[in-house]
Amino acid sequence: MSSRRSRSQQGSSSMINDAQMADLISKLQQLIPLHVNRTNSSKVSASKVLQETCNYIRRLHKEVDDLSERLSELLESTDTNSAQADIIRSLIM
Amino acid sequence: MSASQQLTPTNPNSALKIRLAYRFLLTLNTLNAKKPPNFDHTQIHRRSHRVKIAAYASMASVVGPKRAWSRAILWKIRNRGMLARNKKRIHRISTPIRLHRHHARRRRNPNRVVHVDPFVNSGLEVKLRKLVPGAETIDPCGLLDETADYIKYLATQVEVMRNLVDLYSTI
Repeated sequence: MSSRRSRSQQGSSSMINDAQMADLISKLQQLIPLHVNRTNSSKVSASKVLQETCNYIRRLHKEVDDLSERLSELLESTDTNSAQADIIRSLIM
Repeated sequence: MSASQQLTPTNPNSALKIRLAYRFLLTLNTLNAKKPPNFDHTQIHRRSHRVKIAAYASMASVVGPKRAWSRAILWKIRNRGMLARNKKRIHRISTPIRLHRHHARRRRNPNRVVHVDPFVNSGLEVKLRKLVPGAETIDPCGLLDETADYIKYLATQVEVMRNLVDLYSTI
């Protein structure tokens, strides 16, 4: 049982520090595009950050769907071999 | 092309973008090589589905087995044939438990003083667990960590795809 205690992330969900949580929330906050002004970041509540995170993930999923649809259409209409070689070259250099 | 001029190897985000883009193009190439182009309407839908799977698969392969979400994605994709066949019989396949052999089962001790955490078991946590793949059995701290990682890679993948669409449409 002591080995379970020694692992910080195991079985201690009820004992998460506020500091740890705030740290993680701020990390998330930096990743998502917030509507709120960044200088007020200390006042943004954790639940708002989490809500925005959920919305952001949903939006990203939807964008992947849209983009893959467009990509599949474009892949049909272009000559794939030369186009892809060009793209790979332009992306890597 | 402005997209390529903005890519500088010293920027870690751009380095990630290049890795994702390369992997995605590789997957797309093999995808294209397999199936002949069809102009049937139903095929279009299937093709876009394949591109979507290629996007998630390439994103997860770049990360590899280091993360729970990438493992979950790769597992889901590899077994999607079986999953589709067994959809009626099996409701939820609990792979995260199988893969995480070191993840011990949490015993709820009613005598332990519980630090009331507004996040745990809130509606938001449940929603987040549904959105992030493979996040159903992670503890809440790890969940936020996985979410941050997932968002980072997902956003970069979306950027890569957007750039590709722009490039393709100007050719």
